[in-house]
Amino acid sequence: MPPRRHRQSQAASAQLDSEVIAKRTKRHLDELERSNYAEPSGSALFPGLEEEDEAPAGRAAKGRARQTISDKKEWKGQKKKKSTMNVRSAVLYKKSLQVLIDESGIANFPPSIPTYLTAGAPPPREPSRLLCSVCGYWGKYKCKKCKMPYCDMSCEAVHNETRCERRVI
Amino acid sequence: MKTSLKIVVDNGAYNIKAGIIGADDGTPRIIPNAVVRSKGDKTTYIGHEITKCEDHSSLHYRLPFEKGYITDWDAQKAVWDGMFSAELLNVDTSEASLLITEPYFNLSNLQDIYDQFIFEEYEFQSYYRCTPASLIPHGNLFTLPDLGSPECMLVVDSGFSFTHVVPIMNGEIVWSAVKRIDVGGKLLTNQLKELVSFRQWNMMDETYIMNDVKESCCYVSTDCKRDMEICRTDPKSNAIVQEYILPDFSLNRSGRVRQPGGSLDESYQILCMNNERFMVPEIIFRPDDIGLEQSGLAATIATSISQLPEEVQGMFWANIGLIGGNTKFAGFHERLMSELRTLAPGDCEVVLYPSNEPITEAYQSAVALAKRPDFAQRVVTRAEYLEMGSNACRRKFHDWKPIEKDLSKGRDPGKTKTGRAREDEEDDGSPSVKRGTRAKGKGRATGRRQV
Repeated sequence: MPPRRHRQSQAASAQLDSEVIAKRTKRHLDELERSNYAEPSGSALFPGLEEEDEAPAGRAAKGRARQTISDKKEWKGQKKKKSTMNVRSAVLYKKSLQVLIDESGIANFPPSIPTYLTAGAPPPREPSRLLCSVCGYWGKYKCKKCKMPYCDMSCEAVHNETRCERRVI
Repeated sequence: MKTSLKIVVDNGAYNIKAGIIGADDGTPRIIPNAVVRSKGDKTTYIGHEITKCEDHSSLHYRLPFEKGYITDWDAQKAVWDGMFSAELLNVDTSEASLLITEPYFNLSNLQDIYDQFIFEEYEFQSYYRCTPASLIPHGNLFTLPDLGSPECMLVVDSGFSFTHVVPIMNGEIVWSAVKRIDVGGKLLTNQLKELVSFRQWNMMDETYIMNDVKESCCYVSTDCKRDMEICRTDPKSNAIVQEYILPDFSLNRSGRVRQPGGSLDESYQILCMNNERFMVPEIIFRPDDIGLEQSGLAATIATSISQLPEEVQGMFWANIGLIGGNTKFAGFHERLMSELRTLAPGDCEVVLYPSNEPITEAYQSAVALAKRPDFAQRVVTRAEYLEMGSNACRRKFHDWKPIEKDLSKGRDPGKTKTGRAREDEEDDGSPSVKRGTRAKGKGRATGRRQV
């Protein structure tokens, strides 16, 4: 039955749409948490530090005895001491928040115990407002191709020229 | 134990507010919690040194905190080392007692690292760790003359990483009703950066400058629709639009808002702040504007209060305190008040207590607590830590985790190897030296696994 199949594929594409949009939103929200715009993902090292400073010690001892920023800096009147292994590993082996959350086991806590994972504010009750992705005014229309809102024809033109992703159908 | 030096550290993700009791009671030292690399003079500035940095263009930031929790302990140690050194606080930490703040719902594995740094690295005599909001009952935010802090209060803490709504009853946080909105100053600055970069100048690498633009130009609108229309009518000159004169570091000229009518020569670069002025802080009240599926601040406060015992809900509505840097936006208090009024039951009085010094309010409250004679009973001493390890802190510091009997129930599934290892250590009650060597062997093994 051709009409039915047609309807199905439409539903599938609508679902795909919302998935792609959700992904785009998620990526945008992640970007808003960055400390620097140009950030090589995953790299915790300080780019430029080793290259531009004289740091032969850090280079020479390849990998094994990594030099850290806290080691390198000597403060006035600071007693240099050997850190304990606990402190040393915390300094040397950086873990992302996601890894730390996994390791803390809070995902397995019974729901009666509030944790970081359960404390997020509930979803909003009102429908969300559409804002023009170009000028910020209310966005009455949505791009046919990528679903980003815009407010008038001039913003639509700017959108098509610069921002339209053309990926979402 | 002799009465020793007491240090208070409100360890924020953006600024650390720190001081010595007796010396810095009035105003804390404000230390940027970051390691910054300046492209201009090719120098790395750590923590308090950042104030010496003059060229703020294209700074590269390395922040100890990720989404509100410490993940980069190397950077954090660098900042703390500098802070305790002769350059700033100039204290011998092994002779001092410490009060330090931690984020809400801090993870237990991170709390262990706090303990290790404080007792193993800095060797403090004793310490107390708690969240900023839990300090507020000891301060003056709610205090009316001759009255102490109210029994029920709700603290809104809107900082760099996120915004929390924290109800407190009889001095204890009601964790089941604590709510978090994932909007903080960092996100707002980044959002502004993005808007401006798309609409005017590319400012994506100019976090420092855009933060200043945000602090000097942004405000919370009391009527978003009206303001939006005002901005729409004439984008170049309306009652809202402001011009920010961008800094020129080659000429040592800092950025500022242009005063109306002030003439300018052409060498200045101008940034136009139109609806960006209020649509950026607006995100705290409407997180869904950027696609974040969370309620705004007012609705979140209402949700939190609705989860508290019914007979005291009215007291919470009447005692809402505002702390954290974002509450400094002009109009924040008015907007929140008008939204809360519509959400609160008609017979409830809604009273906001905005802090005059929202950034240092928690520090001031911490100073008050550290000065109290019973503060000594709250701390964990170094001797206790050497005997029991982090268990000493877990027993004594009340936080979001359930106490005593529920604890083992809640803990078991999550606790794996580290938990068992710690119990081993506790069993043989090993003194510090022995503990250190044992930890070393284990540390290496775990270290390899992590890599």
